[in-house]
Amino acid sequence: MAKSSRDVNLPFLISVGLLSWFIPGGGYFLLKERKRAWIIFITISLLFLSGLYIGSIGVVDKVSIAGKPWVVSKLSWYTAQVIVSPAVMMIGSMTESGQYQVYGKPEEIGQIYTGIAGLLNFLCIINAVYLAYVGTERSED
Amino acid sequence: MQSMATYILASFTSPMYIGTTAKALLFILPLIAAISVVYKATKVENMKTKNFVRESASLFCSIFVFILITAIVLLIFTWLVNQ
Repeated sequence: MAKSSRDVNLPFLISVGLLSWFIPGGGYFLLKERKRAWIIFITISLLFLSGLYIGSIGVVDKVSIAGKPWVVSKLSWYTAQVIVSPAVMMIGSMTESGQYQVYGKPEEIGQIYTGIAGLLNFLCIINAVYLAYVGTERSED
Repeated sequence: MQSMATYILASFTSPMYIGTTAKALLFILPLIAAISVVYKATKVENMKTKNFVRESASLFCSIFVFILITAIVLLIFTWLVNQ
């Protein structure tokens, strides 16, 4: 039977989701899944840093969006990158000056790496929140 | 020590040189590895090292094989169109 919204430990679910966003794999630490948390943290961080190394910090491109909101592809990449961590927004504000322009293959590969890192973290956020929900449900049974 | 830290930070401000060659396709391998590892880390219930490595390697191989098959099919299609 479905649980009513009063039964769900909402602050705990929100904190798991937020911690997962702030630190990749952080939500699993709250759930005491340390091994899972370390694997996710190391893999997502390495993938994101590799993307930055390949394409430079210029791949986190906020400038194109500010001037041209119709550039949907750029907006999608930036949104995906920000899902890795809110710290990516700081990189976005660093590249706002436009002095880190990058083109061609390094831009493509850098954007793909950093964007996929964000989407993988999105998967982890959803999974951690789901596990937290199932966990609270089990503990109340 | 400080110069080393400066060198590491500076390497993130200029892009790598990557030519438009077949070698550039190899950049897909770390991506597939990361996807396999993270996906399996969310799905595998038994997090024993041996089991986790086996599951991740199996997913890595299946993604790689499917990409290879897609590439071959596209190559044949392009060849047929150009005939």
